Amino acid sequence: MKKNTMKLIFGLALTLLVNSAMAQNFGDHSSSTLTTKAWEELGKGNHDMAITYADKCIELYMADAQRMQTAMKDFAPSDDQEKTSSYWALNDVGTSLFIKGQALIKKDKKKEAVAVFKTLTEKVKFAQCWDDNGWFWKPAEAAKKMIIEMDFDNE
Amino acid sequence: MKSSYLTIFLIIISFFSVDLFSQEETKHQVSFVKNESGFWRVDVNGKVIQIQGAGGVISPGMLEEFAQVGGNFTRTWGIGTLEQKVTDGVRYIDKAHELGVNVMAGLWIGHERHGFNYANQEHLDKQRAQVIADVRKWKSHPGIAVWGLGNEMEGPQSKKGNPAVWKELEYLAKLIKKEDPNRPVMTVIAGTATGKIKSLIKYCPSIDAVGINSYGAAAGAGETLTKLGWVKPFAITEFGVKGFWEVPKTSWGAPIEPNSSEKAKSYYSTQKLVAQLNTGKKLCLGTFAFVWGSKQEKTSTWFGMYLNTKEKLPQVDALVKAWTGKWPDNRAPKIKSVKASFFGKKVSKNTELSASVDVVDPEGDQLHYEWIICDESKAQSVGGDHEYAPRSYPELTVINSTSTCSVVAPSKAGQYRLFLTIRDGKGSAATANIPFLVN
Repeated sequence: MKKNTMKLIFGLALTLLVNSAMAQNFGDHSSSTLTTKAWEELGKGNHDMAITYADKCIELYMADAQRMQTAMKDFAPSDDQEKTSSYWALNDVGTSLFIKGQALIKKDKKKEAVAVFKTLTEKVKFAQCWDDNGWFWKPAEAAKKMIIEMDFDNE
Repeated sequence: MKSSYLTIFLIIISFFSVDLFSQEETKHQVSFVKNESGFWRVDVNGKVIQIQGAGGVISPGMLEEFAQVGGNFTRTWGIGTLEQKVTDGVRYIDKAHELGVNVMAGLWIGHERHGFNYANQEHLDKQRAQVIADVRKWKSHPGIAVWGLGNEMEGPQSKKGNPAVWKELEYLAKLIKKEDPNRPVMTVIAGTATGKIKSLIKYCPSIDAVGINSYGAAAGAGETLTKLGWVKPFAITEFGVKGFWEVPKTSWGAPIEPNSSEKAKSYYSTQKLVAQLNTGKKLCLGTFAFVWGSKQEKTSTWFGMYLNTKEKLPQVDALVKAWTGKWPDNRAPKIKSVKASFFGKKVSKNTELSASVDVVDPEGDQLHYEWIICDESKAQSVGGDHEYAPRSYPELTVINSTSTCSVVAPSKAGQYRLFLTIRDGKGSAATANIPFLVN
């Protein structure tokens, strides 16, 4: 009986692992690919998968992002697309943190979301994200707004 | 030559324009001052206030409600609004003054996209004479606190504006201050594009403050202005929910409108951030929410803080909370979620569709539901220009008046929205809508 249970658990774990590996595809593992995939999953309502991609981006590129952040005194000029885009790791990690925070809110994990937003505003606050409408926006500013809105929502 | 005659004629006319308030004229002095903490504020006859404002506030009864919940400033886009009858035939400006609400009186300045030509001396002369006539006519009214010189005349989509526009603003600001040295002049522009702010600094030294109309980026306006070297005060002269140009869109390009509870959060956070928390807050005189009333712009509900049937929406409650720290006595229903399998999707003609809402009323009031399909607006207007309301199809709603509805997709291909209105029967309401496409 015990042996059968062990086999069942092992089988289930293996199935979950295989499913998970099949479901997630980190592509070329670049920060832009991971961030794009995180956005897409968030848009589809696949919050766990959005977090998976965002986490991978943060894990692989946080060190680069912080190095870029440390070398800066202010935001890169948002009207200089080339210059701003040159801070690729900073921008993608900041955006991934924002996506992760959003996904956590959707999962009703507000405390965890606040912690993620605080990491964003404290560690990579000069991140900027390109909007297809034609401008850069600031994930840290958006995160500050989200924190206030969560407080408001609780009242 | 012709334009010179016209100018002389208009100046003579303006000299004889009636000063309606000379009989009751009292010393009226308004200025922008720094308080003891270094925050810019408005000093109205010795009373120093932060602007808790809104635009609109025109429909009968709105001014009273606005003043009652803590509003202290309104703005108009044109001078004609001052004479609009509000309650019991009383003029807007008189009712505002009676209620202790200050008014930033808008002096409309020509827009190039509407055909005004800043290289045409005749146009300029006519506008100058009109501005002087308006200031002369109204300067003695104690309800007016600030002159609002123009609204987005530099062009909402322009990056820096035409230098001729900025130069003319400076000319007009000087004229106004000569005519009325007792009130400050604020000009109102769209957003904080670098080129616009640099131009304002370069060409308009006589302007006392800048008003910024901004939606998604309003919270960061003070920080941007500070970085660009702006040292005078500013106000957010339009803010609220993200504009329809700033939000995600369906695959066919229809902007996805936040529901009223999501909008409320945005009003609250923007007000807090720009006026109390963010860099640049000390320059902030306060804010004017857009719009204290209802307005058709992209949809019938995008910017309005009220329904056209006069119920207040959660956006009003949020602003009251941000201004006063307290909720109003009766709060609007709070939408938790809206569910519809066809949200942002394509459907076939005549298909039966259903949608539902999860909503709570803070006081437990009984809620009344109304679901209705409308055409998507085809208007491509810019900068808040007038739009007609799209056609609605009440006959397509099969099951109404409950939190779950059943509707039939229109038989004609096109873009539509299913609108939901929830009323608490006590003067408050909530709204949401679902965009969909019929193949």
